Amino acid sequence: MNRILADMKAFGTQYLRSRVGTFFALVFPILLILLFGAIFGSSGSSPVTLYVQDVDNSAASHAFTDALNKTNVTTTRAIPSSADFSQYIRDHSINVALQIPSGFQVALAKAQNGTRVTVNLTLAGDQTQSSYGIAVSAVDAVATAFNLQVAKAAPVVNVLPTSVPGLRHLTYIDLFLPGIIGFTILSTPLFGMTAICAEYRSRRYFKLLATTKLSKPEWLAAKVVFHIILLFASVALMVLVGILVFGLKAVVTPMAVLIIIAGTLEFTSLGMALGIFVRDPETGAAIANAIGFPMMFLAGSFFPVDAMPAFLQTGARFLPLTYINEGLRATMTFANDATALVDLLVTLGFAAVFFVVAARGLSWKSK
Amino acid sequence: MGEPVIDVRDLSKHYADIKAIDGITFNVEKGEMFSLLGPNGAGKTTTVEILEGLRDPTSGEARVLGVDVRTGYRKIRERVGVLPQDFEPFDRLQPREAVAYWAQLFDRTLTKKEIDDLISTVGLSDRAETLAMNLSGGEKRRLGIAMSLVGRPQLVFLDEPTTGLDPGARRELWGLIRQLKKEGTTILLTTHYLDEAEQLADDVAIMNHGKIVARGSPAELIAQYGRGSTIVLAGAGEDGLRAVQARGITAELQGVDVVVKVPVASDMRRMLEKLASIDTPLNEIYTRRASLEDVFLSLVGARMQEGVLAT
Repeated sequence: MNRILADMKAFGTQYLRSRVGTFFALVFPILLILLFGAIFGSSGSSPVTLYVQDVDNSAASHAFTDALNKTNVTTTRAIPSSADFSQYIRDHSINVALQIPSGFQVALAKAQNGTRVTVNLTLAGDQTQSSYGIAVSAVDAVATAFNLQVAKAAPVVNVLPTSVPGLRHLTYIDLFLPGIIGFTILSTPLFGMTAICAEYRSRRYFKLLATTKLSKPEWLAAKVVFHIILLFASVALMVLVGILVFGLKAVVTPMAVLIIIAGTLEFTSLGMALGIFVRDPETGAAIANAIGFPMMFLAGSFFPVDAMPAFLQTGARFLPLTYINEGLRATMTFANDATALVDLLVTLGFAAVFFVVAARGLSWKSK
Repeated sequence: MGEPVIDVRDLSKHYADIKAIDGITFNVEKGEMFSLLGPNGAGKTTTVEILEGLRDPTSGEARVLGVDVRTGYRKIRERVGVLPQDFEPFDRLQPREAVAYWAQLFDRTLTKKEIDDLISTVGLSDRAETLAMNLSGGEKRRLGIAMSLVGRPQLVFLDEPTTGLDPGARRELWGLIRQLKKEGTTILLTTHYLDEAEQLADDVAIMNHGKIVARGSPAELIAQYGRGSTIVLAGAGEDGLRAVQARGITAELQGVDVVVKVPVASDMRRMLEKLASIDTPLNEIYTRRASLEDVFLSLVGARMQEGVLAT
């Protein structure tokens, strides 16, 4: 035990003196939270800018534009009525634009008098952008309201948005934070351990350590314990920033603590197991990147696995990080410890396999 | 005489395409400084790493402090200190921290005074709180020696401890190694510096191509293989060589110096008188005792520079 503590202390001292390691373990996740929180969080979201060419220039078309502004999801900007609509969009790199045609008010008036008539609004834009979808919804909603008004009808089916009973009122950060914790559980020990294995091999530290009483499992245990402490410091900072800046509601439950511990054991061991194949820092970085980067995107750290194509969802089931992300979301966001327990057990299974492979496979001796 | 500290018998280490060690036998007595001397690739480090329990031999026996290293190295590792080849300390630890850490890996907790004493022994007291990455090459090796001494070992392996150091740092390290020997520590030193082995070792085994080609004290080896002494006519050049050879004396040109071998010591005076009578311009004339360099040349047939055989 003393040897583990001594190795952990010496390793930790060196790690914290290396500002790069400290930055990626403690500061980088905070930057991600601030960045993604600012982009997607409700507190900072801004309306979509919708360019409108009002060719009709009538009281009705003005009323339609005013209604769009009142939705709070779009703000309108005018395109000169004399401009070529398509050319203007291309020249100004506009994401989404609406054209209200000439005869808009006349058509509405005829409809109110019982004449069957149709007027088409043109909504042009880049359909791959999320802003286009938002604009379509807003324009569609306003058009529906105008149609009902013309028909002198009242809505029959209404939607009342409400929270799930017993569930905390969630914001984007509540869904995002568990993913970032999962990302940190993967990146800090995995990238760190492969780099350490490369350094220890190229500088012959493994051989040096093999002449002491420290065993490989003790050396690995020291790294696991250090990374667990580091991860808890990192999670504490993330939660603090989440609460102070974004009003985080998700809670670090005891189950989340267990998943963080198991996940750190898992990826510290995986990093050391990959170290079996590492001969120098270049191969260490290449191997860690090749495994770590696809996993952090495919395992649902930044967006839900459910949003991916079916074959990728199947693939995600084989990724150890998937269970950490899903387990943390289940317990921290939805207070669902039964589901999280399954994810914890799967994570512990992966961890045990990686630990045994690492402790047996990584040779400190020469052939 | 008791059991040798190191006892190696017919030890071999073969790989698919090379015999790294080919049936070597030697022993090292308590308190002795034994040197494995040879060029790069001779098998020195492979031998040491087998003795340190870091490699398994193909055949033969290697016993250290009475135990077979293949099966029992665990039992003796706190009694053995190791300074590996190309030792690099942990960059972001201070010497004081590194020594304390290393002692704990042998289940020893050193007091502050013990750490200070060890740091002082290797002459790093004024650098004790400097990060290792900021130490000079010589200071790093000193730190390595301090780390190898944390368990007060009976035996220390020093694998090429001065390679890559400047002459000043090498001599400082020699002083430290001599001090260790004076305190009774048995030392196995590998080196490719002939002068280092000659200066430090009680006993030398010259290795080449995995074999020990000669073994004995530096004085014994020089007496047996050194081919006597040498007279140097410094700056005599080719004209001097022709003049010497005209008198029927065998000589060779080394640079601008004419070198005459005198195999038998009793012939020295007569040869000096003969050479002094030759009228040829030169800077000076002096004699040079045979050294391990001459022994190596005689045995291997080539000179050695920085561990590489000169063709």
